[in-house]
Order: sequence, then C-alpha cells, then structure tokens
Amino acid sequence: MELRTRKMLDKSFTAVGLLAIVLMAASLLVLLQPIVWRGAGAFIFRETVENRRMKLEVLGRGSRERLSLEVTQAEAARKPVYDMLDAFEAEMEEGGPEFRKRYRGDYKEVLELVTELLGPRPGAAEPVLIRDRYGQTRWDRAEVKLHRILFVEEYDYSDPDRMGVKIEKPRAALFESTSLEPLFGYIEHNFKQMMLPKLTFYWRFLFDDSFDAHFFGGIWPEMLGTFYLAFGAMLFAVPLGIITAIYLSEYAGTGRFVSLLRTCISSLAGVPSIVFGLFGLAFFINTMKIANGKSVLAGSLTLALLVLPTVIRASEEAILAVPRTYKEAAMSLGAGKWRTIISVILPAALPGVLTSIIISMGRAAGETAPIIFTAAVSVGRPLAFWQTLSQPSPALSWNIYNLATEHEAVDEIRHVQYGMVLTLVTMVLLLNLTAIIIRARISRRLRG
Amino acid sequence: MNDRIIEHTDSDIRSRLLMSRGAQRHRRAGALAGKTVLITIASSSLIALLFIFYFIIKDAVPFFRLEGFKEFFTSTRWYPSSGEPEFGALAIFVGSAMVTIGAILVAVPMGVLASLCLSDILPFSMRQIVKPVIEMLAAVPSVVYGFFALVIFAPLLQEKGGGLLSAGALIILVPLSIIGIVVASDLVGARFRESSRKTARIVTAAALGLAAALGLYNLSQWLGGLTVDSGTNALNASVILGIMALPTIVSVSEDALNSVGREMREGSYALGATRSETLLRVVIPAAKSGMFAAVILGVMRAIGETMVVWMASGNAARIPHPIFNYLEPIRTLTATIAGDMGEADHVTGSARYHVLFAMALCLLVFAFISNLVSEMILRRSRKRLG
Repeated sequence: MELRTRKMLDKSFTAVGLLAIVLMAASLLVLLQPIVWRGAGAFIFRETVENRRMKLEVLGRGSRERLSLEVTQAEAARKPVYDMLDAFEAEMEEGGPEFRKRYRGDYKEVLELVTELLGPRPGAAEPVLIRDRYGQTRWDRAEVKLHRILFVEEYDYSDPDRMGVKIEKPRAALFESTSLEPLFGYIEHNFKQMMLPKLTFYWRFLFDDSFDAHFFGGIWPEMLGTFYLAFGAMLFAVPLGIITAIYLSEYAGTGRFVSLLRTCISSLAGVPSIVFGLFGLAFFINTMKIANGKSVLAGSLTLALLVLPTVIRASEEAILAVPRTYKEAAMSLGAGKWRTIISVILPAALPGVLTSIIISMGRAAGETAPIIFTAAVSVGRPLAFWQTLSQPSPALSWNIYNLATEHEAVDEIRHVQYGMVLTLVTMVLLLNLTAIIIRARISRRLRG
Repeated sequence: MNDRIIEHTDSDIRSRLLMSRGAQRHRRAGALAGKTVLITIASSSLIALLFIFYFIIKDAVPFFRLEGFKEFFTSTRWYPSSGEPEFGALAIFVGSAMVTIGAILVAVPMGVLASLCLSDILPFSMRQIVKPVIEMLAAVPSVVYGFFALVIFAPLLQEKGGGLLSAGALIILVPLSIIGIVVASDLVGARFRESSRKTARIVTAAALGLAAALGLYNLSQWLGGLTVDSGTNALNASVILGIMALPTIVSVSEDALNSVGREMREGSYALGATRSETLLRVVIPAAKSGMFAAVILGVMRAIGETMVVWMASGNAARIPHPIFNYLEPIRTLTATIAGDMGEADHVTGSARYHVLFAMALCLLVFAFISNLVSEMILRRSRKRLG
C-alpha cells in the first residue's frame, strides 16, 4: 500500500473509533434527555382548577377563599356546556326512537369524556374513588382529553397488507345540525376559562404519600423503601466487605485458598441478579423465615450479597493504593500488624473505601430483580424504622416497573412514572458523581 | 532527663520482648483466634456462593424429578398454567440466546472501538470526559433502561420502524463502506504500472462506490419498507442490552489494552507503522485474550439481565420465524423467572414453582462457567504480559 493510503486509512480508523465514542455519548444523551425533560413534568407543571380543588379538599392545602372564587369562575364558563348537554337530551326525548337510536351511543361517549375532563357535574352524587371526584388535574392531560373530545379515532383497514391506519375525524360532524354541534367549538374556545391552568412547582412530590393508586400525591413511600433497602444492604455488606478486603490485601498470600476465594468473589459478582432474588426467596424467606413473607430485611440481605463483591474489590484496591511507606513507617515505630491496619492503613484508604461504599449503594438502590420476590410491594405506607424487620415496602425501582406495565391506567400516570425514574436516576448519578469527585481528589493527592 | 526516658523505653521494650511463656502462649492464642475469625468473615463470599448453589439446586431438582429433562430442553410448548401443564422451555432458551447475540453484535464492535480510542487515540483530557460518561452508562439502573425501552423506544420503533432501521444501518455502514472502497481501490491500483495507477484507482473507486451506493440504497429501501408490528421485540431488547453491556466491555478491554506495554507500541512505531497498523497488528493480538474475557463478561451481563428483557422483549414464548427475525417478540429465561414467580409462589412445591429454579440453575451454571473461563483467560494473560 502507498503511504498516502495508509495515512488515510489510519485517519479513517481514528474516525470510526471516534464515531463509536460519539455514539456511546449520544446514547447516554438520548437516554437521559427525555427522562430529565419529562421527569421534570412531575415537579413543574400547569395545574388546573381541579388540582387546586383536590389539594384543598383532600390534603387541606391552599386558600379556601381564592379557590371558591376560581371555582365560581370556572363553573360560569362550564355552565353553557351543561346547558347544551341538557338541550340535546331534551332533543333526544322529542326526536323519536329513530333519532334516539342514532345518537345514543355517541352521546353517551361525549358525556363520559366531558365527565372525565371536567369531573362530575356539580350537584351529582360524589363518586367513591378520588380520581373520579375531580376532572383532569394536569393541563397536559386535559389537553389530551380535549383532543379526544374533539376528534374521533378511526382505523382504516382498506389496505389488507398493512396495519390499520389511524384517521382522526372531527366529532362535531357526528352531531351535525343537532343542538350538540356547537358544544365542541365552545369547549375548544373556552377551554382555558373552564380549566384555569396555572404553573406550579410541586416539590412535595418527593415527600407526599401517594394516594388512589398513584393517581395523586407523591413518591415518599417508594423513596423511603429504596433508602431502607440500600442502607440495609450496606449495613451488612460494608463490614463483611472491608474485613474481607483487609484479609485479602494484608494477610492472605497467594495460596490455593486465597485464589479459591478470589474466584468465588468474581463468580458471586457474575451471578445474575434474578438468581439472587430466587435465592433470597428460597433461603431468607422460605427456609430462614425471617419474617412472615416478604420484608425489607430479606431484601436488604439479598442486596448485600449482590453488592458484596463490588465492595470487596473496590476496598481492596483502595487499601493496596496506600503507599507502602505508610505501612513501613508504622511498623518501624513498633506498631503491630493489626494496629497498623486500624490506625494507619484504614484511615489512609478511607476515601477509596468510601467511594466503593457509595457506588455499591447506588447499585443497591437501583437493583430491581433481587427485590421482586423478597421485599417489594406495589402499594404501601411509608414504614417506620422497626417495621422494616417484618414488612415489605414499595421501592422506586420496583414501582417504576409496576406503574409502567401493570397499573390500571398506565397512560394517565406517565408523569408519576417519569418523576420516579428521574428521582432514581438523579439519586444514583449523584452518588456516582460524589464517588468520581472523591476519586479525583485521591488521585490528585497520591500524585502530588 | 533525656537519658532517663531512653532508659525507660529501653526497659519497656525489654519487658515486652521477654514475655513469660504463659503470656506468649496467650498472645499467640489470641492471634490465632483473631485470624480464624478474620478468615471466617473473609470466606463469606465463598459461603454465599455455596449457599446459592445449594438452594437453587435444592429447589430445581424436584422439577427434573417430576417432569424429567427431555421436555424441558427439547419442546417449545410452554404452558405452565394449563390443566395439563407443559414445560417445554426451548423457545425461552432460544430467546435468551437471541437477545444475547443481538446485544453482543451491538456492544462488541462499539465497545472494542471505544476501548481502543480510550487507550490509544484520545488525548488525556478527552479521556477524563469520556470515562465519566461510561461510568454513568454503567450506573444507570437496569429498570431505567427497561423503562426507556418500553415507554420511549418501543413506540418509536413501532411507528417509525423502517425509517429508524435504515437510518441506523446507514450510520454504521456508510463509513465502513467508504473505508472498504479506499482499501480495495488501493489494492487494485497497486497491480498497475506507475503511470496508469492513478486512473486505475479512480476508476475502481468510482465503480465500487457506485455499487456500494446502489447496495446501500436498496438496503435502506428494504429496511425502510419493513413494518414493525410490535415495538417490544428482540431487536429493542438487544439494542438496549447492548448499550448496557458496553461499559463492562469497554473497561475490561481497555484494561487489557493498557496492560500491553509501551515498548510494544514504540517498537511498532519505530518500524514505521501507523497508529491503526500498530493497533491492529501489534496491540490487539497481544491483548486478544483480555479482550475475549471482556466479551465473555459482556455476554454474562446481557444474559443475566432481567428488567430490560422483561419490559422490552414482548414476552412471547415462541421461536421467531425465521429464527433471525429480530422484529418478533421473544421471551427469555430471566424474564420468565421474574414474570411467572408472582403467580407461582402461591403454589410452592408445584412443578410450576420448581421449573423456575431449574431455569435459574441453568443461568447460574452458565454464568459460573463463563466466569471461570474469563477468569482463567485473564489470569493467564496477566501472567504472560507480566
């Protein structure tokens, strides 16, 4: 090959390598961007008057006078809607069976959608579920509902080779030349007056209990559960891990037993997380019976085993990074081996050990598979400290899965899901960031 | 004054050195007890591993005793909850293998290239930026990846399926085909005489370029015409798993590349090789076993992952037709364990409960063996490179 081509190939190889790096960074960006953007929507959003009503009546927050003023305002804007609905009902009464038959189904749908948007009609009986007592509490959800009121979705199956193509038709066309036709235009144009949106910062999302199956409220029980699980896991894993690391770095030589031990540690790190979950179920719950069924304690123990190899390896690295001179100086001053470890090596290795603890804690907080069978439930109250010994708890990681797949109204509570994801990611990444900063400091100190 | 202190410490030391025999024995016994405790605690991971094996095997054995081996490994009929339950897990094994292979196809080229970049190409300051990116990719919890796959990636794949596929294929194939054309035209040009070499090269490049452009155009048309029936399918799970396995592969293979000494590289440069030739002909062959271990670790990460495949793979226990059709939903071992245990644990003791442990045992054995292999490879390469 000619030199020129070789140079060119060299450059293009570099370019492909850089492409890989760029793709990797881009995938992180693509992953985080929607999570941050839409997750922020759980905290900062435009609330409607319905949300303010809910807050006052259910949680007792907000001013009663201002709210009643707003409610009258909104009800004034909503009155024509109800008038039009009444007028159409009267028209159906008069219109004869043919007319009634034609419009009954469509009218019923409109009525349902309007109730979903605005809540039950003033004066109607109060529904049992909190979510049915109020209309749409978030402006973005209200807009979705508005769209559903204004347009009918239909699927076009005329082309047999393709899946049905979605077509949207204005709903007003269904009620052409009846007294209901102007309703749609009215709702569209007076939407703001009916809902009175206002930008709000719901920081209590983190600290509120959730109620009515996560339709309202915050994620405090999940946060607390995740905290207990991660903290409990560290409580068991850290002492074991550090002592093992001390043994491996200071006492053990290179014998057969030690190499067996090292193999075991790396094998433990390679065990799939779901297998840890099954083991936790079979051992801690079915055999040891540490509680009657799932409990936070069982979950913490399972997670502790999962993070143990990480703690051991990172702590060992931190201990080995302590300069030999420290140890030699301590020994030459007459300190025994144990004394040297406790008072010289461990303090010097502390930042590194701390890093390992922080990273493992992030790992434990984010793991889902091990806690499915051992600790997690979908709905629960925030636990007091002593209850963790015997009771299961909701946790962020499990509830993200649960709300995104098994909840009865997955689409309605997207903001809660995103809020949880954002909270979990922020927690884990902040922990990792702390670790990175500590590590950078250590390496600076060791270098200079 | 000074003398007295010295005298004092002197006598102190002497008294320590000259311990009575009883005290010596006492001390030795204490040290022994301490060491025993230390070793016991240090063996906790050994004990944990033994316990895990014991309890998984203990609950897996009843399944094989009840149902035998044959159906489990050879049948594709998975109906654990019907009146006459059938436990054919072949389709589930195939599903696990498919997502793992898919994830490897995504992660290995990217991971190897990225690790080459990190070890040899990027300047130090850029490395300091890229490393946290990798660490963040590794730190993001798996359920978050699963959520992304289910809520964002799956609808996108379903709606824009073909367009997305062809865009992805073009991003990867265009640079590669350009490089391929350059190499090929150069090789062809080298066969001609000096005077006509340039024209020959241009002509070949133009011809190959035209062919490649045509091929790529057809490919993108074909991919663009595909419809994706369900966004939760093997492709979705593979891509996300691949990205999850990236950090493992990058960091282990970067370690392997870094452990190849400077001398090797400098020797190669001194002989006039370019950087890419040095990497491809000298560094990679030397670091090959370490990089292989990295790939094994990546495979383990992919096959053992639960949340992503549970949320993104569609959970359909059947073998896609044809078998390389990644656009069909599949089901994996881990997702089956996670998904079925909720229904099965009320009937502890049934075959339905124990079959999940049998699956876990398969996973565990696979993970254990591949871990041993990678460990062995790493140890050997470390020994060889000093």
